[in-house]
Amino acid sequence: MKVKLFFACVVFLFFSGITHAQQSKSISGVVTDANGVPLPGAEIKVDGKNIFDVTDFDGNFSLENVEVGDVMKVTFLGFKQQDIEITSNATYNVTLQEDAGQLDEVVVVGYGTQRKQDLTGSISRVDTEEITRQPAASPMQSIQGRAAGVQITPSGAPGSTPDVFIRGLGTAFGGQNPLYVVDGILTDNINNINPNDITNIDILKDASSLAIYGNRGANGVIIVTTKKGKAGALQISFDSFYGLKSELSKVDLADARSFAIYSNEALLADGNEARFDLDQQYDVDWFDEITRTGSVRSNNLSVSGGSENIRTFFSAGFYEEEGILKGNDFNRLTLRSNTEFNILDNITFSQQLSAALTDEIPKPFGAFNNAYKQTPIIPVRYADGEFAGKFGSSTGINNVGNPARDLYYDNQKQKNLRLQGTFTFDYEIADWISFTSRFGIETEYFRRRAFTPNLDLFLSADPTNTRDEYAADSPKNTLSVRKSDSYKWVLDNFVTLNQEFNDLHNFKLTLGTTAEERGGEYLTGIRYNVPAQSDFWSLNNGDEEPQLTSGLRDNTVRLRAYFARLNYDFDGRYLFTGTFRRDGSSQFQKDQQYGNFFSVGLGWVISEEAFLQDSDVISFLKLRGSFGELGNQNVPLNILTFSTGLNYPFGPDEAINEGGTIDQLIDPALSWETTEEFDIGLEFGFLDNKLSGEIDYYNRLNRDAILPVELPDAFGFRGTTLTPAGQVRNEGVEIVLNWQDDIGEDFSYHVGGNISFNRNELEKVTNDFFAENTGGSLGNGQIVKKVVEGEPLGSFWLLDVTGIDDNGEFIYDDVDGSGTINDADKKFFGSYTPRNFYGFNIGVDYKNWDFNLDGYGNYGNVVYNGKKANRFSNENIEQDVFDNRWTPENPSNTEPAAFNAVPLASNYYLESGDFVRINNITLGYSIPFPEETVIQRARVYVTAQNPFISQKFTGYTSELPGSPLGGAGIELNAYPAVRSYLLGLNLSL
Amino acid sequence: MKNIYSKISVILALAVGFVSCESDFLDVKPAQETPDVALSDPDTAPELVNSVYNILLGFNMSSFAWYGVTEITSDNADKGSDPGDTGTFQKNHAEYTYTETEASFRNLWEIHYQGIARANQAIILLPDVQIEEPLRNRLIGEARFLRGLMYFRMVQMFGGVPIIDFIPDPNNPDDINRAYQRASVEEVYAFIEEDLNYAIDNLPTKSAYSPMNLGRATQGAAQSLMSKVQLYQQNWQAAYDLSLAVINSGEYQLEPNYDDIWKDEFENGVESIFEIQGRGEVPSLGVDNYSTSQGARGQGGWGWGFNTPSEDLLNTYEEGDNRRDGTIIFRGETLYDGRFVPETVTNERYNQKAYVNINAESPNEKNIRLMRYAEVLLINAEAAFELGNSTVALERINAIRDRAGLEDLSGLTINDIYKERRLELAMEHDRIFDLRRQGRAAQVMQAFGVPFQTGKHELFPIPQEQIAQSGGLLEQNPGW
Repeated sequence: MKVKLFFACVVFLFFSGITHAQQSKSISGVVTDANGVPLPGAEIKVDGKNIFDVTDFDGNFSLENVEVGDVMKVTFLGFKQQDIEITSNATYNVTLQEDAGQLDEVVVVGYGTQRKQDLTGSISRVDTEEITRQPAASPMQSIQGRAAGVQITPSGAPGSTPDVFIRGLGTAFGGQNPLYVVDGILTDNINNINPNDITNIDILKDASSLAIYGNRGANGVIIVTTKKGKAGALQISFDSFYGLKSELSKVDLADARSFAIYSNEALLADGNEARFDLDQQYDVDWFDEITRTGSVRSNNLSVSGGSENIRTFFSAGFYEEEGILKGNDFNRLTLRSNTEFNILDNITFSQQLSAALTDEIPKPFGAFNNAYKQTPIIPVRYADGEFAGKFGSSTGINNVGNPARDLYYDNQKQKNLRLQGTFTFDYEIADWISFTSRFGIETEYFRRRAFTPNLDLFLSADPTNTRDEYAADSPKNTLSVRKSDSYKWVLDNFVTLNQEFNDLHNFKLTLGTTAEERGGEYLTGIRYNVPAQSDFWSLNNGDEEPQLTSGLRDNTVRLRAYFARLNYDFDGRYLFTGTFRRDGSSQFQKDQQYGNFFSVGLGWVISEEAFLQDSDVISFLKLRGSFGELGNQNVPLNILTFSTGLNYPFGPDEAINEGGTIDQLIDPALSWETTEEFDIGLEFGFLDNKLSGEIDYYNRLNRDAILPVELPDAFGFRGTTLTPAGQVRNEGVEIVLNWQDDIGEDFSYHVGGNISFNRNELEKVTNDFFAENTGGSLGNGQIVKKVVEGEPLGSFWLLDVTGIDDNGEFIYDDVDGSGTINDADKKFFGSYTPRNFYGFNIGVDYKNWDFNLDGYGNYGNVVYNGKKANRFSNENIEQDVFDNRWTPENPSNTEPAAFNAVPLASNYYLESGDFVRINNITLGYSIPFPEETVIQRARVYVTAQNPFISQKFTGYTSELPGSPLGGAGIELNAYPAVRSYLLGLNLSL
Repeated sequence: MKNIYSKISVILALAVGFVSCESDFLDVKPAQETPDVALSDPDTAPELVNSVYNILLGFNMSSFAWYGVTEITSDNADKGSDPGDTGTFQKNHAEYTYTETEASFRNLWEIHYQGIARANQAIILLPDVQIEEPLRNRLIGEARFLRGLMYFRMVQMFGGVPIIDFIPDPNNPDDINRAYQRASVEEVYAFIEEDLNYAIDNLPTKSAYSPMNLGRATQGAAQSLMSKVQLYQQNWQAAYDLSLAVINSGEYQLEPNYDDIWKDEFENGVESIFEIQGRGEVPSLGVDNYSTSQGARGQGGWGWGFNTPSEDLLNTYEEGDNRRDGTIIFRGETLYDGRFVPETVTNERYNQKAYVNINAESPNEKNIRLMRYAEVLLINAEAAFELGNSTVALERINAIRDRAGLEDLSGLTINDIYKERRLELAMEHDRIFDLRRQGRAAQVMQAFGVPFQTGKHELFPIPQEQIAQSGGLLEQNPGW
């Protein structure tokens, strides 16, 4: 076998290390903790050789073929590593000291790892326990509040991807998402990763740590490391939970009588006749009609183990979620196989393979909006079983669809298969130099099927519609099938050189190259009149004509980079990290493709200085600072294309004639956005690291933020042109504090928290044609956001309501004194992005019991109550709106009288987004089993997710993800936040 | 050690080689068609021109904003819809509270210049595409007809506007200046005439086109539009001659029944001179929401209910004028296709000229009649009258009246001609411009009950946002 591999890897073997013969011997020993308790599962590895063992249940180990002078490294999770030189002795008793702080931990830094203690950059780490404690389809949603500076805004929808911003929103028109690196694969999200498979997530936040990712680094990088098998006995884990979900908060809408009174008043105010009888036959709670108790279920099995030369980890997970919106289901199967092979003493090959298959039934979230607006006086269905449609029983009421009908007739299904694999060769050429070659590939296949019953929709849209009225040649139903696939691959090659001089100067140099490619395409087919039964929903069962298809192949994107990083430390006290990356991207035109990115980081481990080394109080203290430049190459494409599809029908048959033109302007100089970042941080551990924490100040300037510029309309170009036209600054402070302690043998606890402050501003606009882009459309002609110099990105731009006049109508501040109220009177009222957000955590372990509480909150943002601001013309109102409305008898200076017009976008609908929420409370009990049973651990637990919230917002949720100039911070078609209660089991064999 | 270093250098070389062996690794060809590729294909030539026609299908170009500024601002139409529904800007149009920041003017300014830009691309690029000369000339003729049409609409709405007849370079300050420099009304008309003259010289007549080209601009369309352009400039002789040329061409005649004109089966019929084409059949393609936005609102309705014929218009019809029922859908009426309009619909009247047959596969089926033979007769009549030839004028007017089921007039005043023009062309997007052209806008609109300000409302305001953007270079219209 080895001979074959020898040939297969001839390149690597060509350089195989120098071997030298010496006397070898066997040794044995036992590993214990400070109290003399044996530690099973501790790893013993001889440095520079492939000699390896894992302690048994009694802590025993033995090694063969070792030589005097070899160093064995003894490691065990949660304990400090010990290096022991082998002498002539044959037995060794190793006592490991508990690692009180987390400061000795090794973090992943991109193309390598580093001790956290030696970092000059700011990296937050979240480990597996924290991720799995808060189950969610996306691991990112689980770690909300766990890392300072990382703002995670989830949606309650099953399988949704949360918005993740690291250290503020740096751009509105470039990509805003961080880069994810899963075992070396650069990707866009980690929705395909089973949270149980993650060892830890390292979040790179400052220039010193991000510059190695060059023009992908500006939005931060999230590195996910999945579990590896360990040599030793087979480990089997089974983790399972089941839970129920419901909405976290509900809006109280007016009942039928209140609706009738309010609508009549509004009609009268407009000079119409009142038309709603106060005694109504129906009083429907539409929210209840479209929601249900959701559920979530997860089962996860993993097997790991290995020998000296092969270590493997396998897992299978199945996650099922039924959303609170009726019919909205999400399932995901994940499979993973991670294996490491020691091919030769100094060559390791490892592979990580994963497959994630999701199966989803989406439902239109617009149903939430319609349920809010639909009148309570029409039923879901009439007595004859027909849906009450757009219009009420006898008279037109409003233009809102029946949300129950919308859900009933929405028939979609989508499947997604995502495969990821990384293949890594590590070749330790000598003890001071190693070479790594890694190939990662990801492919994704997506399929969506949508069936639209056009005839049923027509009939149910209006009870007076009849089958005869339906145009004979219109389709009775439509089947649409879409398939898309995408791929990406990345090839990294790098060498790492480690050298120590005089026991004082430590150098680590990483040099490498990387190349990447991504692409994809889609194909959609549409046919009419397939049989109504879902078994026959295949395109070939539809009408012969027309056969409609569309498809698009994405532009292939290629990236190539060269990078170098030098870590130097003097005696573990003075730290230096210099990083350089030259990055090229095919996204840009020829002479704009390459850019250089760099960072410099300095650190001073003060606690290593003589004057602090013996301090009882200060166990660790480090001051660090960094500066660098990062890029964001995720900007809109700058290739001018011929616009097609501008067609026109000619001839007696109205044949469609193709049309095309050049109607856009592309800035040929469009290139990546460059962000300068300065960071200074203090890391500390006091009282034997019982109290530990970090304080960071950062200042990030996206100095060529891409913004739309608007050329004269008379030029006739379509839309706006994007070009670097401004500077966006994010400035902030992050504070992390943790306290952990034991009281006696049975009781330990920790209390921790983090808070992040951020100030965001479009500081400067550098282009005369800056478009002051407006956005945040409510879909009713009203817009609520604008990007303008001096304001944060995503700022609300609204009329200012100063009171209520004698007719119960809003009085707006006529800012320009023109006598008319229009856009010129709009003011800025702050952004949906919070000025600060915080997480806190309390954990207690007592004997076999464990308790944990996580909370999260944010402060200093505003959100727009879009549902309320969208209400017009006989749509329902909130009960509070009814109760508090202005009436001649009961005038108000804040609340308007009943009205039916489209509400103007004003600060009346803007509300505080502040909230504090308990994200998670978990109570677990580990059932004690005698040592000789196969069960190593059995824990049962109950978890309450999002059990309590205190919020000022009167809508469903103030956590409203979306694009900065689009739906973010506006509650419109938003999925309510959900609360869930879970019961779970962890079993290890 | 030396050995080690050589190994390292080999490895480094390999590592670098992995990605640098292909020096053009980043040279990725775009997957979408670039202009160079497109223009190397002769089939692109008609596509360039078709895309100019395509702009006529836009919601802003021909639908909501267009009838909003042409009819709702006039005495022909009310806003319609529910009282509480402002229709964005329609309420302001109806009540004369519209301002220079109204989205409608911005939308129209923008979309017309986008159409003009498409025409410019065609006119400038076509000489370089490898096609036969006669086809090239015809295609350029079509593009110039459409560009002339769009500039005419611009001058009708705003007066003198910047003339863009080149492909602008945003880095060229001259181009920027030209985009903000308003030409005089006379210069714009001269430019339109140049375009239309080219079109008249190079376009085939309606009958000379092959059937598959039905719907393209014809010589007759260019002549008709030119006669209207002359009418607006009160060049009576030119207006007379051009309209007479159309009349004498024998290409057109009046449709016997007035209300047939807007039925599907009479699309591109004998009276039709230029129409925006719509296709109802899937994949449908037509003027975005033109029919639906003007369809009856409420229970039993089929649309949003905007742009409803006014009571003033209703009362202007003489007894027996069959144009009244051809123009207005009444609540409680059963339409020609059998559709019953129940009493439950929101408004009393709707625009029948925007109505599409209930059996049409989609509302996109609707063709908008932009220019028809009756208007040419009216132009000819008005020009003849102004030239002192009231015999011809009377003959034309009576031809129109005959078809409307009315008795012949024996004598004529200019107001008879204006009235006939109003009733014949009601809801066809001409009324406010006619009133302004005739110098009667203030009088008629004030009588209609809106606060029309003399010296201000004769032109629409230039979009304020464009003026702000120009730093004041672009001048606002008087009174705004």
